Amino acid sequence: MEAKPSNLVDQLVVPGDVILDLSNMANQTLKLGGGLRQDGDSICVMKAGKLRFMKPNKYWVESSQKRYVPSAGDNVLGVVVDTKPENFLVDIKGPALAFLPVLSFEGGTRRNIPKFEVGTLLYVRVVSANTGMNPELSCMDANGKAAEYGVLKEGYMFESSTGLARALLSSPPHPVLEGLGKKLSFEIAVGINGRFWVNASQSSTVILVGNAIQKSESLSLVQQKIYLEKLLKSIQ
Amino acid sequence: MEHRLANSLIMTVNEKKFIESALLSDIRVDGRRPFDYRNLTIRFGSEDGSAEVQLGQTQVIGFVTGQLSQPYRDRPNEGSFAIYTEFSPMADPSFEPGRPGETAIELGRIVDRGLRESRAVDTESLCVIAGKLVWSIRIDLHIIDNGGNLVDAANIAALAALSTFRRPECTLGGEDGQELIVHPPDEREPLSLILHHFPVAVTFGFIGKENTVVIDPTHYEEAVMGGSMTATLNTNGDVCAIQKAGGDAVSQTVIMQCLRIASVKAGDITSKIKDAVESYNTQRSLRKIKRHNPDQQGSSDVAKRHMERLTVGSDQSGIASQFNEHDKTNKRNSTLKGFSGGPASWDPYSKGVDGDALRTSLASRVAPVDKQKEESSQVNPETKSNPKSSETNSIALTHEVGLERKQSKSLKDAVKPKHKRRNKSNAS
Repeated sequence: MEAKPSNLVDQLVVPGDVILDLSNMANQTLKLGGGLRQDGDSICVMKAGKLRFMKPNKYWVESSQKRYVPSAGDNVLGVVVDTKPENFLVDIKGPALAFLPVLSFEGGTRRNIPKFEVGTLLYVRVVSANTGMNPELSCMDANGKAAEYGVLKEGYMFESSTGLARALLSSPPHPVLEGLGKKLSFEIAVGINGRFWVNASQSSTVILVGNAIQKSESLSLVQQKIYLEKLLKSIQ
Repeated sequence: MEHRLANSLIMTVNEKKFIESALLSDIRVDGRRPFDYRNLTIRFGSEDGSAEVQLGQTQVIGFVTGQLSQPYRDRPNEGSFAIYTEFSPMADPSFEPGRPGETAIELGRIVDRGLRESRAVDTESLCVIAGKLVWSIRIDLHIIDNGGNLVDAANIAALAALSTFRRPECTLGGEDGQELIVHPPDEREPLSLILHHFPVAVTFGFIGKENTVVIDPTHYEEAVMGGSMTATLNTNGDVCAIQKAGGDAVSQTVIMQCLRIASVKAGDITSKIKDAVESYNTQRSLRKIKRHNPDQQGSSDVAKRHMERLTVGSDQSGIASQFNEHDKTNKRNSTLKGFSGGPASWDPYSKGVDGDALRTSLASRVAPVDKQKEESSQVNPETKSNPKSSETNSIALTHEVGLERKQSKSLKDAVKPKHKRRNKSNAS
């Protein structure tokens, strides 16, 4: 049986809003993501943001803030802050430092433990994140391959909000990112925890891309297009 | 241990390398050139002597207050001033509440040295009774947001706040001439401090092995730089103070070059401060003109009644259009402002304003001024509104004693246009 989606999907909700009344829905399982809570027979909103729905039965609230709440399966940018015999302590902009086991690398054994100095920038995957515990990371994907994870060399890391990070990763692509990508050549790694890393052959390109993306966060879609045009004209 | 780590800024190795390599091509991470300052905005609060400075992401609030106190024994006819810094924990995760840390004390010392040793603030004019009573000025600097280069921002905040601070005028009076009277601001216009010059602090950061110089470093550049130097100069070409505490060694030529650049930047910043202070002062004098009604119920009652009668009178005479111009003023005057019973913040000795005493003093002043107005009144058709408007005018006049006004617009002008010229000569 398919659940009729709530009529508040894709709209801004605030704490206290009731999005679904369960009394007239039977024999259905719903999956509730962040920002939602079951209160007896109703599903209430706990965090302000946009309500999202994915078929067949997933609901969650999306909001943008500077702090990141770790959750399993996210790809984030972490910075090594300390080394321990068993783990690397990595900061991922969450409430607690995350642990990256020393062996969570492709072909990692006790003999070839990587040497990361303090301040190394890593692109990692969050394996598990339970409240109250330190999140666990891995530099391999689910199959055990290195994929794109690992150390990011050169370039510069910029801070952003979680909303901007999501926008950069969404499809259709972010207009400023797409527009800059057509004219300039650079590589970019976006962490859903509100960090993105840019690298290019010239420092000026890196600075341009990073600042343009940061500034575009507060602009609407139309304003972003105008900003992009002006920016590209000034480069030429 | 995790909490300690969370308090410091987490920098990646990529950032350090990138900042240094970008500087080799003369570009900084936020797009500035090495000798560009960030955007500087200076805003003033509602009270005299409060300024908020925003330099890029750095925000500092400066607040100046004054109190009467005993002078130092070795300087009996000089006032004093002291600087207090507060690094709010909301500015930076590494700021702890409580006792000021090393950087807080250093910042306070740099700002203090710039103002004190160069004698920018005229302390002799702060003397009231030599050897007994002087004004002691207190400058509070609150760091609200740390985006790098707190010293420059704090210095600008201190200068802006000092330029707009007003202290109440004190005279010796009383029966024996020995009593000190501190005049409330509506009685006598408070006086501003005398600043001989503006010592502006300009901070340089030395990054990398080649000691590339950047001006106005951001938070990230400060974490990466090997050393820093703060030069305090004024527009007269004087170097008031230089602070280079530790850090990387720098050659003499670089220091001289920095001082030359700093004098140019000091000129820019001084003109920005002066412009901001001037616009604040013009706004302040405009506010003074509109505000005719004091915060006492008695006289505002009287004024309200006069307003009502005046509306009738002016309608009849047909100068309603002029009256409407000053509608805002009238509305403000006719709303009954409640008597605020706390001690006035400008007066260090007051126990509060006595409403009754003020009311009686105002009433006693109304009568003689009344006669004056009637003598000067010409024959005009609005004879009915004459006595009432003159009473209002007298109340308005008592609050204009000592007021400097750039424009002569007042309540009287709304009612009696013919008296405009007369009153201009009276007031000036």
